[in-house]
Parts: sequence; C-alpha cells; structure tokens
Amino acid sequence: MKSRLRAWFDGDLSGMEEFVQVTETPDATHEDFKQTELAFEESLPQNPRSRMIERLGRKSYHILYRVVAVTSCIVFIGVMLYVIGHLSRFGTDNPRADEVSRRYIESGLEETGATNIVAGMILDYRAFDTLGESHVLFTALVCVAMLLQLDRKNTRRDLEDYYTTTLDVYFRTSQDRILQTIGFFVVPFIMMFGIYVLVNGHLSPGGGFSGGAILGAGMIILSCSLGFKTADRLLTARRLNLVTFIALAFYSISKCYVFYTGANGLENHIPKGIPGAILSGGLILPLNVAVGLVVACTMYGFFSLFRRGKLGSD
Amino acid sequence: MEWLRFILTALFLGIAVLFYITAVLGTFRFRFIMDRVHSGGIGDTAALFFVVLACMIGSGEIMTILKLALVLAFMWCTSPVSTHFLGQIEYYMDRQLNRYVEREDHHESS
Repeated sequence: MKSRLRAWFDGDLSGMEEFVQVTETPDATHEDFKQTELAFEESLPQNPRSRMIERLGRKSYHILYRVVAVTSCIVFIGVMLYVIGHLSRFGTDNPRADEVSRRYIESGLEETGATNIVAGMILDYRAFDTLGESHVLFTALVCVAMLLQLDRKNTRRDLEDYYTTTLDVYFRTSQDRILQTIGFFVVPFIMMFGIYVLVNGHLSPGGGFSGGAILGAGMIILSCSLGFKTADRLLTARRLNLVTFIALAFYSISKCYVFYTGANGLENHIPKGIPGAILSGGLILPLNVAVGLVVACTMYGFFSLFRRGKLGSD
Repeated sequence: MEWLRFILTALFLGIAVLFYITAVLGTFRFRFIMDRVHSGGIGDTAALFFVVLACMIGSGEIMTILKLALVLAFMWCTSPVSTHFLGQIEYYMDRQLNRYVEREDHHESS
C-alpha cells in the first residue's frame, strides 16, 4: 500500500483506477449548459402552479440582483464624487494636507542629498519604517524555513529523492538545452541590471526593493536553468545567512547612530557628497544595498525552500 | 522627412495592433492549449518587433535605437522560452494529449 501511495505521489496513475478517475470527456460547451438547464426545468414538479411560482421566484431573484447591483454602484459613485468635491482644487494650496509632502519636495534634496526624492523619503525621513519592512522580510524567511526546511527531525527518507531529483526529472528542466543556453546568456545581464538599479537607487527610479527583486529573480532563473548545483556555488545556506545578518545589522547600527545624533542635536559625521554623484546621499546608497541584499536573499530563500526544502547546500 | 517618419511609425504601429488582435483573439477563442500558446507567441514576438520598430523610427536618436534593440533582443530571448515551457509542461502533464500528437509515454518511467 505504501509503495503504491508513493507511486501515486510521484504522478503514476496506473493501478489506481478505482481511486482516481481519469476523465476523457472534452470541455463543456454552451450547448451543454443549455441542455443541463432544460433537463433541470423538466425535472421540476409538473404542477403548473408550482412551476409558475418557481419561474416567478427565479425572475424576481434576477430583478432583485440587478437592482441591488445598480443601487450599490450608484451609491459608491455618489460617495466618491462627494468626497472629490470636498478636495481642494488641483494646484491650489492646501496647508492642512500637504505640509509634509511639500517639505519633502522642497528641501528633500538639500537635507538628504538624494536626487531621487522617494529614496530620500523611505531611507532617510522614514528609515524606521523601511527597517521594519526589511525585518518583516527576514522574519517571513525564518518562518518559511521553520515550516519547510528538511533537517534531521523533519526528513522522510522515502521523500528525499522526490524533493531533490524527481521534480527536475519530471519537468526536464535540467536537461533542456534551450533553457540552459538562454539562462547562461541572460542571467549575467539580469544580475548586472539588478546591481545597477540597486546602486543607482538614490539617483534614478529604483532602489533597494526593486533592485533586490531583480537580483532574486536572477538567482531563481539561474537555479532553474543551470540547476541548484550551480546556484549553490554562488549562494550557499551559510553565505545567505551571513549576508542577511550583515545587511540587517549594518542597517540597524548605522540608523541607531543617525537617530541618536539627530535626537540629541549632535553633529552628524556622515558626508552628504555632491547631489547627483554616485557617492552621495550619505547613508542612502549603503542602506539601499543592504535592503536589496535582504530582499534578494529572501526571494531566493523562498524559492529554494519551496522547491527542495533547504536554503542551500550545507 | 518628418511626415514620412510619422507615416512609417503609424504604419508599423498599425501592423503591431493587427498582430496583437490576432494574439488576443487566438488566446481567448481557441480551445486547444497548443493553439493558444502559439497565438500568445505571435503577440510576444511579431507584435513586439513591430512596436519596437515603430518606436525606433519615431525616436530617431541613436542611443534610444540601441537601447530599444537591446530590449528587443532580451524579449526575443526570454518570451519564446517561457512559451516553450508552457507547451512542454502541457506535453508532460496532459494525459489527453495522445488524441492530438504522437509521443512516447514519459509517465511510467518516473
């Protein structure tokens, strides 16, 4: 029984006909639905009075449905238009609402040194928020690892091969010449673009999260096309832990310094540089890199844990 | 010269829209998955080529043209591979595919 169950788990349906029905019927068409409806109508009680009540009930249900849908749509549109009517006109001053954003736009470049105002906002004015976000990512990775990681107590010998080899053999990704060739040529460009978005985060659109997502996607494509052995040469479990730890610790410590000096009115010794240069913006460039590394490690860690049950080779 | 460039841009954008209409119609109206994958592939390659060509002619700057050529090369590398994989997964997973194509059976070996 156990071996049969394992065979079924591996996708084998032979000898399982009494448990699993392999359907050979084509998809249902519109005529089939019509036939079903007619059959349903004929199966109704033949008493003309009850049939009439049945038809009336269905008709009133349809009418009620339409009335409720249209009414809720009109109410929603009316509420939205009412709110829009109370907003201030486009271009006029609204001192209650946009005090903070005007401060960001007017003196963001001067205070943070970043040409990209969004980067200055999320990594300087609201750096505490971003710190929490990167720690949330790290916590999610830890939780997924707790649930899915195959360790000494969480391993079933009979399923170990399934995670490591059978999936690859089943979908033939490790033998596909097209995917391997394209991955071999495309992955370096994806990595390079990810690093560009990371490092240019304070000058142009982009930054830690988007660049890290591109880097993580590059790692996933690398491990899909060229196999996990190749990806393990770049990012083992130990290195992944180390990179995540160093990035988060650097973020926390440097922001501790900035918050401490800022709250106590002390002088900040981190140079801002010339706006527009690659080495400018104070702490924004290294913080972007730290956030991006955390995001990339989290994405690749998720993929690796879901696919084979471990973060990397030991 | 300016009106010629405009006419060429509009012409190639129109051709691209035609290819996209083909792709969308095929993706939604065909019933068999390989047909739908094929029509999606038309949108990924031919329509994209004409869009990029129209953008190249419309911009006229050499750096923009080179960047667009890079975009085209990247998309032509990657989207057919994903189309190929959709088809391949269907090939390995669909048990009813024997009605349409001849294949050796991979399922019993694994």
